[in-house]
Amino acid sequence: MTEMPDGLRDLDRKLRSVRFGPRASFGPELLGRLRRGDQPSGRGRSDFRRHLAAAAIAILTAGGALALANVGTRTPADAVTVDRCCYDLDGGGDADDGVLILAERDDRVHRLRVYEDLDGSQSFTPADLVRLDRGAKPAVHGLAGEGIVTIGQCCLDFDGGGPDDDGLLVIGVPPDRVLMAAIYETGAGARPRGSPPAAWPLR
Amino acid sequence: MPRQMLDPRPAERPLETSEKSAEGICRGWYEAYGGPLYSYLRFHLSSPDMAEDLTAEVFLRALKAFSRFDPALGSPRAWLFRIAQNVLRDHQRQARRRPMVPLAGMRDLEYEAPSPEERLLWEEEVASLLAAMGELSPGDREVIGLCYSCEISMTDAGEILGLSAAATRTRLWRALGRLRKVLVR
Repeated sequence: MTEMPDGLRDLDRKLRSVRFGPRASFGPELLGRLRRGDQPSGRGRSDFRRHLAAAAIAILTAGGALALANVGTRTPADAVTVDRCCYDLDGGGDADDGVLILAERDDRVHRLRVYEDLDGSQSFTPADLVRLDRGAKPAVHGLAGEGIVTIGQCCLDFDGGGPDDDGLLVIGVPPDRVLMAAIYETGAGARPRGSPPAAWPLR
Repeated sequence: MPRQMLDPRPAERPLETSEKSAEGICRGWYEAYGGPLYSYLRFHLSSPDMAEDLTAEVFLRALKAFSRFDPALGSPRAWLFRIAQNVLRDHQRQARRRPMVPLAGMRDLEYEAPSPEERLLWEEEVASLLAAMGELSPGDREVIGLCYSCEISMTDAGEILGLSAAATRTRLWRALGRLRKVLVR
């Protein structure tokens, strides 16, 4: 079906008439900034990016063991960033999705971003397509609808804690919608006392 | 294998000679896509000034990340619009914490109005459209803003959204249905 439903045509026509344009002097101003080599201002940039700038960590793997180095970390005190790529996290069929996590080691998650690695860099870049961007608490984003699937990745070090004992749970609607993503700890003592085996606390 | 982390923002510095061509290409991109990008951002923002700031941010980020642009993986337009999506997302996250009251209205609305009264009516209509859009989910706002803010085909919109043209169309119509419901409320 490629014909627009009748009930939407008026709205479609109206929206097609809406156009905005910047001031005439805006273009020359911006081109001047490009010529001068101005850096992005970071306006609107969230704490996530500032923390990323402050929290430098090198995750080195050798023989299956991880050695961690954390340099210059600022608030939150033990925040580390972990960028894991590439898996099929949106159900699209291709292993081209990554997850970027700002967390305290083995503890609280501050930001979690699921992205599609469009430029093939195997890490997050400004032009990658962000499928989900959440804050500290896992929550379902958007309407669920039909066709929901859960996708899991276990076990890796998603929170910079060291051992490969974290799982990643993604709920989405293939091929491109990600409704929720969270990590969980599977190591010893991660499960609350008395809880059923599947009750890993999501972070 | 070591995982690549996001680099901190480098210290400010003038462009090196080798980057001059990147600046020239970005200049060409602004001439080709600056207007549509501005209009796209403006669909999501209540203030022309903010739309200008974020448009500038898109091109500054594009210039900074220019070496990562690979034309084999997509068009410059799709690349720039995806940067715009991320800039907008960052801004909206920040704006939730620090809500801003727009001082300017619709001075940037392009309209050949035969009279000031008609222009005023059109401005009010557009304002109510944008306000209704504000009640939609981010996904609905995104697809409507992309498809209507600039003259873009469903295929090109799909490339930016990471969807097929058919899926983009379906998503757009569903979003329009929800927008219509908000408008008639």
